[in-house]
Amino acid sequence: MKPLTVAFAGTLMNSSADLVSRVCQGDSDAFRLIFERYSRPVISFVYDMVNDRALAEELTQETFVRAFRSMHTMRAETKLSTWLFGIARNVARESLRARARANNHVDLGDKSVMDLSDDKPVPVEGLLSKELNELIRRSLAALDDDKRLVFTLKVLHQCSYEEIQMITGFSLAKLKTDLHRARAEMRKRIGAYAGVGYEV
Amino acid sequence: MKCEVCLELLEEYLDGETPSHEQAQVAEHLIACGDCSESCAALAEEQALFARYDRELEVPPFLWTRVAAHTVSENNRPRRGWASVFARPLARVIAIVLLAIAVGVVYLLSRQPTPKPTIAQENNPPIPRDGTDRAQQRDQRAGTSQEDPKPKLVAAQPKSRPRIRPNNKITPADQSDVLSSDLAYLDMDEQDTAKHIEQSQNLLRSIRNVPTPDGDDEIDVSYDKALSRRLLNENVVLRRDAEMKAKFPTKTLLTDLEPFLIDIANLPDRAKAEDVRAIKERVQKTEIVAALIDYQDRGTNNR
Repeated sequence: MKPLTVAFAGTLMNSSADLVSRVCQGDSDAFRLIFERYSRPVISFVYDMVNDRALAEELTQETFVRAFRSMHTMRAETKLSTWLFGIARNVARESLRARARANNHVDLGDKSVMDLSDDKPVPVEGLLSKELNELIRRSLAALDDDKRLVFTLKVLHQCSYEEIQMITGFSLAKLKTDLHRARAEMRKRIGAYAGVGYEV
Repeated sequence: MKCEVCLELLEEYLDGETPSHEQAQVAEHLIACGDCSESCAALAEEQALFARYDRELEVPPFLWTRVAAHTVSENNRPRRGWASVFARPLARVIAIVLLAIAVGVVYLLSRQPTPKPTIAQENNPPIPRDGTDRAQQRDQRAGTSQEDPKPKLVAAQPKSRPRIRPNNKITPADQSDVLSSDLAYLDMDEQDTAKHIEQSQNLLRSIRNVPTPDGDDEIDVSYDKALSRRLLNENVVLRRDAEMKAKFPTKTLLTDLEPFLIDIANLPDRAKAEDVRAIKERVQKTEIVAALIDYQDRGTNNR
């Protein structure tokens, strides 16, 4: 087997549409290129949703297997990343439903989350500390599913509202409301770190 | 615009999702209002903070192996054409029945008594199929092989023929000693050339369609470069082969193709956009892709 990073490193010469077409014609190299290109954003997204590394790997695998099997159903006008995120979202949602909610969510009032933050200003240099990454991770986990979904897609993956609507099936109004509330909750938790004290 | 309205639109504004008329109003207000401008800066800082969130998460190398095992491995390839027909249970049963009938017919035919060898055949036993040299066989029939003090060294024949034969000793003009399988290999040469032309065509089309942004941007061409190097090696062999067999249209086409393959093969992994653009323009100007397509369309009979 060829090493992951050598011959199949993502190339701009293979557009997503070309790759999808080639996969439908049985070109396994094309599918590997798709995996190379999108596995990282997909696993990050799934991890943001389930907050569990091992599970995120498993669900990423499931996402790509499902994608491979249904690639011929993908419409030409659909963006590949949006389509993959849609599958990943379904896979993650099924997994979350299967797990006991109590075991997987950090309670909104979880003291441990709030303890990580305090009202003291933190120097900007220290913002990306491990502690802050951990705080963001746990704060994300504390959001409810819909809010976490839209927040992750918009803020962490820079999807457009239109793409988020396609991935989630949410109305624009719900999307905006959830996103606004998710931001407010996240701000409440990391506000002291970011130096954000305003109310929007 | 009032501050309340501006603050309400601030998130959408930073998301780039505000309708254009409101966008202009927000921008105008932000210039004039210090409080809202401060809120905007704080929100932008917050977004930047989230954008740099590091999950410390890598795609484990084994993940592709696992995905491949369920997708592109031989047993999981999407079935197409005849394969999909045989995927259906009824068709599978019919195929098995037909196969059983065929095996039965072959078995019955093989059980038919073979005619006794004639005297002529007894005097000329069949040629052994152990790879013995024909001259050696003649010697054996003449009873001289046992007396030969210097046994001939016979080169072992390869079990499978290489896909490209750089030194093809069989010429169309002299086929008196050509076995039927060699004739099949001649067809294989044609198939190799056709496959090579097709792959080269795909490569050049890929180059022709690559977006080349203005400026000093770099384009990752590592895959195309590796492919071009392989095709270049094939091209040299096939071109010489075509020349030896007096297939001049094929030779001319491969000669025309070679500079493009050389140029792509010599690109760095991350090539400058202008270098890729230069190759792209040459591909378009020379219509090499059209020539390759034309060659494929004409088929092997015309070559």
